[in-house]
Amino acid sequence: MTGLAVDDAAWASAWRRRAPADKLLLCGGLVVTALVLPAWPGCALVGAVAVGLALGPARVPARTFGRAVRWPLAFVAVGAVTAVVEVGTGGLGWAPDAAARAGSLVGHALAGGAAVLLLATTTPLADLLPALQRARVPAAVVEVASVVYRLLFVLLDSLRTIREAQAARMGYSSVRRSYRSSGTLAAAVLVRSWDRARRMQEGLAGRGLESGLRVLPETLPSSAAFLAAAGAVIGCIVATSLVIA
Amino acid sequence: MHIAEGFLPVGHAVGWTVVAAPFVVHGARAVVKEVRENPESTLLLGAAGAFTFVLSAIKLPSVTGSSSHPTGTGPGAILFRPPVMALLGTVVLLFQALLLAHGGLTTLGANAFAFAVVGPWVGYGACRLVRALGAGLLPAVFAGVALADLATYVTTSFQLALAFPDAESGLAGALLKFLGVFAVTQIPLAVGEGLLGILLFRALTANARPELERLGVLRPAPLAPDGGPA
Repeated sequence: MTGLAVDDAAWASAWRRRAPADKLLLCGGLVVTALVLPAWPGCALVGAVAVGLALGPARVPARTFGRAVRWPLAFVAVGAVTAVVEVGTGGLGWAPDAAARAGSLVGHALAGGAAVLLLATTTPLADLLPALQRARVPAAVVEVASVVYRLLFVLLDSLRTIREAQAARMGYSSVRRSYRSSGTLAAAVLVRSWDRARRMQEGLAGRGLESGLRVLPETLPSSAAFLAAAGAVIGCIVATSLVIA
Repeated sequence: MHIAEGFLPVGHAVGWTVVAAPFVVHGARAVVKEVRENPESTLLLGAAGAFTFVLSAIKLPSVTGSSSHPTGTGPGAILFRPPVMALLGTVVLLFQALLLAHGGLTTLGANAFAFAVVGPWVGYGACRLVRALGAGLLPAVFAGVALADLATYVTTSFQLALAFPDAESGLAGALLKFLGVFAVTQIPLAVGEGLLGILLFRALTANARPELERLGVLRPAPLAPDGGPA
């Protein structure tokens, strides 16, 4: 358990042993398809396929998937309603095609979001970071990103422990106390992050750290059948969408 | 406040990625140079990125009755400078998209421009300006952190207005709409994050003064005649 539900789901997913590049191609294809096809039926098909694959073959818990969708849903709802309200000389009013435009916006956002979530809940970030290096992102940048990934769970754990201790001491019993506790909480986490980094650096220096943090990447074989199926699914979505549209 | 995946039309998603790219590349070059000269910086920069991510997990009480999450780029820009935050902010946005489903991949460029470029530069500039006017560290931190947050929100509203201009009142009307709708949560959040910044830096000044001096946020304390701190 890492404390982040999406990351936990990714490590436990039935697709965990599939090559990250295969999953990137499938999910990237679905994201692009959701972006360029019309909301009906293209985005509806992309959304249904992404959710179906996540809850079916990839065996992602429905609760995790549903809870993760809640985050962007508030933004999508408020943003879509605001986009279709018109400001005129007579005040506020609905745009003539408000329902269709709002539906299109929500459709694109939900379908794209589901495709990204399919990638996030089946592929741990630790598997995706080596792919960045293969995409010619400088090694130093990938190393910093790897340290961010490894440290954030330690810091989230510290955050929870300190907050629990503060709450037990009535640290969040009023707005004023909540702010004071949040400030000391942030400071304590920052000082701990520096301390962790310094101790890690000293430990690695003792083991001969001179250039990069080299680790052996896990090689997961690509599957031609998976790639063919991914291509066929995306092809079917595009063809169905074009025929119906 | 991050723009959700799929919310921006293709042209806008690509356009904002192109606009944000030079700043992120500049930040990446600064990081590569720093790591080449001091390999141990990798860990400190990683700690800075992880801290920015974790800051977004701290809940602040909000006037709307619920709670809000700080953006974390204001304190980061004051501590680590805007070019580094352009890269670290983009990494944090990528992690938020893939670990929290917050933001997105096709909207990463637009979000990076608002969250990792405009916010840190405005916050850092405001902090420097307030200090140059003779104010102490804490008022400067409040101005820097609050304005970094506000600048992020104004930029995001502008991006949305540009993508969805109002049929009658055009870009200006759409900008007013988005600014008005998100002001309910973002203005109290900016004030709240400014206050959090004051409390954070007050605690850091008391407990981590050497680190603040090393980062150039505080001037080294003058030495006493016996050679110890004054």
